[in-house]
Amino acid sequence: MPFARALLLDRARPMTSAKTASRRSPVTRVLFDGPAFPFIMIVPALLVLGFVIGLPMLEALRLSFDTIALRRPAAAGTYGLHNYARLVSDPKAYAALGLSALYMTGTVLGSVALALSAALLTRRVVRFSGLARIAFLLPWTMPAVVTALVWGVMYDGNFGVINRLLDFVPFVDGRNWLVDRSSALGALIVAQVWNEFPVAYIFFLAGLKAIPEELYEAAKIDRANAFQQFRHITLPHLRFIIAVIVILLMIMGFKSFPIIFLLTGGGPAGATETMTVLTYNTAFRSLDFSYAATLGILAVLASAMLVLGYLRLLPRTGHGDVM
Amino acid sequence: MTAFRASPFAPALVVTLRTIAIVGLAMVVLFPVYWMAVIALTPTGLGRQVMTFFPASPTFENFVTLFTERPMARWIWNSILVATLASAISLAFGTSCGYALSRLRFRGAGLLLIAVLTTQMMPATSIVVPLYMLFRAWGLLDTMHGMVVGHVSLVVPLATWMSKGFFDSIPTDLESAARIDGCTHGAAFVHIALPLAMPGLAAIFIYGFVTSWHDFLFSRTLVNSQELWTAANGISSFRGEYFTLQELQMAAALVFALPVVVVFFVMQRWIVSGALSGSIR
Repeated sequence: MPFARALLLDRARPMTSAKTASRRSPVTRVLFDGPAFPFIMIVPALLVLGFVIGLPMLEALRLSFDTIALRRPAAAGTYGLHNYARLVSDPKAYAALGLSALYMTGTVLGSVALALSAALLTRRVVRFSGLARIAFLLPWTMPAVVTALVWGVMYDGNFGVINRLLDFVPFVDGRNWLVDRSSALGALIVAQVWNEFPVAYIFFLAGLKAIPEELYEAAKIDRANAFQQFRHITLPHLRFIIAVIVILLMIMGFKSFPIIFLLTGGGPAGATETMTVLTYNTAFRSLDFSYAATLGILAVLASAMLVLGYLRLLPRTGHGDVM
Repeated sequence: MTAFRASPFAPALVVTLRTIAIVGLAMVVLFPVYWMAVIALTPTGLGRQVMTFFPASPTFENFVTLFTERPMARWIWNSILVATLASAISLAFGTSCGYALSRLRFRGAGLLLIAVLTTQMMPATSIVVPLYMLFRAWGLLDTMHGMVVGHVSLVVPLATWMSKGFFDSIPTDLESAARIDGCTHGAAFVHIALPLAMPGLAAIFIYGFVTSWHDFLFSRTLVNSQELWTAANGISSFRGEYFTLQELQMAAALVFALPVVVVFFVMQRWIVSGALSGSIR
């Protein structure tokens, strides 16, 4: 690294010599050194962001006041607050928010529990530690589409491997997991947890690494048992990491689409129709684009609140130097 | 733990119990991947009759079917094309913004940061509905460049936020030194910060590529013709089409997931540090 830096400085030197600097025009100075510089740096990204995100967001806003729906073609162009009025009294929208909240809660609890156990188990492993970590990171590399396909095959009601494994467990019966109303959401949560818990695992491993080993040695001298060590040393040190990961997992759960859409499509009878799936189904199944845009705006507002919570926590964790 | 300490076998016992727990948990976590391989290697149509936990008569016929009877190769090529373009465009435009957010003080920086992060973290379904309407008006539906635009909207916020993280981790001393020597801020960015961030930029490119490769929603909604599908959309269609032919579904899933697994483990360190800076989900 020092060698690379020396090389870089060497390359920078010729043009940083006083001779070149004096030759530089005042225009260059203003553009690349003065108050205009930040804007030159952000304008390209702003243009792209404006085109691919800003414009669609404006269009979503416009759509939400318009009436673009297959069922009412004649109503196009009648602007008003009707989509918002419908939103406030739509039981499906409330149900979707509730299901999203349930889905988020389930995936957060499951992922944190699984990731924390895996991290606590592997933190001090010396032999084959790389192998163990790879095992716990592998599900993360699986695309959501692949996660959906493989869990779909495993949940198969008749000959799925999960039902066959449950044959070995007394008092637990197999069922058609994704079709049964009482189990569909839980089955989706399990698939999502499997896919996303490695993110939490990475955070926890890094957080555990940052706890000074002397604390545990002191605790052992004081004859603290393993649970007391966890309760009074590990947990307090992981507090902020847990807070950050909980918000990240909430965001991931809220955004989740392919797993739910491909496995149940929102069914059975709306039992798994979260905000994202309801938005999609409203637009591309009911072909009511205006109302779908309104639901989409609601979803953006909800995620903006999560982002604000995330940003408030971020500086306090010192996330940059945990590894 | 203290209870065991009295006996000289205690540490060995703890290690053994822990190893059993790790192996058990790892087996549960790895099982779906293993099962995917088992079913993919089972002769077509016999997936539901696998009664052991091993493929009875392993065969590659499912993989052959994928490439001979379905346009799998075409879909993979589409994915490579779209992902490369979307990631390269996003990197080119996102990096300078990430640098500005990391190093420069300007009005609205905080707001821009929140906006970038929100767009990265909001559900893609919110953007895809209006994007679909705009694309319909502009005649961009069912085109490859339309899909690239869609994927850029996924990757640009990520590239911006990630490059900010990488620039944050590079010390400013070198740039300050160059500027004292008379270098403009712009030149310091191009000649000093960018080369130093090169490994990070490579990681961003690859992560952007993977994000686009994994995307299902944009490909599903913005493109209709089968020959324009990306691989994610293509393999997901097997769930509807070959609902009973689990073996083909699993073979396709395996083919689709494998390149990312390889890339991930080659770049494990960068991706892990990226995840910790909050830029990767």
